[in-house]
Amino acid sequence: MVIVKRKELSFLERLYIPEVLRGLSITFRKMFVKPITRQYPEEPLPKDEVTRGQPRLVVKDDGAVACVSCGLCEAACPAYAITIDGGETDRPIEREPVRFDIDMLRCILCGFCEEACPKDAIFMSDELELADTSRAALVYDMEKLKRPASAMKKRIDYVYRINDRWRTPSST
Amino acid sequence: MSPALENLAAILIRNSLILFGIINVAAVMTLVERKVSAWMQYRHGPNRVGPWGLLQPLADGVKFIFKEVVIPYGANKPLFLLAPAMAAVPAMMTVAVVPFANDVILFDRNWGPLAVSDLDVGILYLLAIGSMSVYGVILAGWASNSKYSLLGGLRASAQMISYELALILSILAVIALAGSVNLKEIALAQAASGNPLDWFIFKQPLACLILIVAAFAETNRHPFDFAECEPELVAGFNTEYSAMKWAIFFIGEYSAMTVMSSLAVVLFFGGWSVPFWPEAPWYVGFAAFGAKVSCFLFLFVWVRWTLPRFRFDQLMRLGWKVMLPLALLNLLLTGAFLAFG
Repeated sequence: MVIVKRKELSFLERLYIPEVLRGLSITFRKMFVKPITRQYPEEPLPKDEVTRGQPRLVVKDDGAVACVSCGLCEAACPAYAITIDGGETDRPIEREPVRFDIDMLRCILCGFCEEACPKDAIFMSDELELADTSRAALVYDMEKLKRPASAMKKRIDYVYRINDRWRTPSST
Repeated sequence: MSPALENLAAILIRNSLILFGIINVAAVMTLVERKVSAWMQYRHGPNRVGPWGLLQPLADGVKFIFKEVVIPYGANKPLFLLAPAMAAVPAMMTVAVVPFANDVILFDRNWGPLAVSDLDVGILYLLAIGSMSVYGVILAGWASNSKYSLLGGLRASAQMISYELALILSILAVIALAGSVNLKEIALAQAASGNPLDWFIFKQPLACLILIVAAFAETNRHPFDFAECEPELVAGFNTEYSAMKWAIFFIGEYSAMTVMSSLAVVLFFGGWSVPFWPEAPWYVGFAAFGAKVSCFLFLFVWVRWTLPRFRFDQLMRLGWKVMLPLALLNLLLTGAFLAFG
């Protein structure tokens, strides 16, 4: 059994008034402390390459997506958010997606697609805001997902850096 | 214009301005409450509607008007609808006797003191009508057909009875000093010399303390807000209320706070008197009165966001075993001093 020993109050403390005044002085001083609330839309969240936002498709310098529609990200996706239809192309990589949809309402921003991709075609961007007036509008197609490689460079470099420890010289 | 018509117009303008003012003070207080609580908790408070959130009360009002009035199943409908008015109207009626400023001199004419009525039994009227606001609270609790509301209403009435006594006894000491129950006369007794040491707070500090504590209990404010008591009673007496009905309770609460603050200012802080300037014109006196009342209203909010709520038995013990004997002792000493001193 636990016996809680109550603190003996001194006479001044039992009078209550001095303690009330002490409490009032504390709250009055705290009124002038700078608020710690972040005013979100005006003060954006801090973002850097570690931010794992919504996945985006990388567009290479020649204007084509790096994706070869292998379907690994589709298989890796734990939320079944990705849908890919593959097609042929005359370019040396031979295959490209004709349809690449990510349902942003299902996406849980886990980054498995980024890990699964063998072609450095899909990366997590720092875009976090997601709002629209219909569910259909939040199923992003390829046009909405495309981002130039230059815009994603920081994230791509970061992923390379953290994966370096797994990379043996022969595998690269 | 004939003098009679002039008088009528003056009365209409003065009274509607006072009523308009008290409702607006209530509206502004909702914003002040939210802002001050936010600052004390390192937050910003409402800042989206208008500059610094100043239009927030307006936005709230529009929202309240457009919300649905929900009347719970099994509620006593007439009483349920009557209760908010019963809570708010007494608070607004008591404003009638508060003297906001000395005799108004305008257009070379003395229009009398800036009050709806310069009643000779001002304090009696104020206490009699002011205690009626508890009917609104207990009717709301009873008519809601909800156990939380009922408990909130019961607690409010028990609390009101316990603290009304101490409140009246503390006021009685001031009446004995001033020799009048007319609020204007009491203010004049302190304001005439312009010396702030004439204020009754320096002659009756204990009565002032008791009055302030009792005022907190009378207006159901923290740390005595047992009528609401969120942790155990959801929202107490107003649990089942929504929309404008709910808002009227709060207009009533803030109006009652304003009246209690005005009462404390008139009784203990010299009313409209400006320190060291006894012949100050009426508008300066009115500004001084407003400043003093604002300090008191801030105290109400300040205490609310500082102190935790009492336990109900502590509230009763404080009311009956501490406040009442102290108020009686104070009255006894005052009487003895006046008789033999």
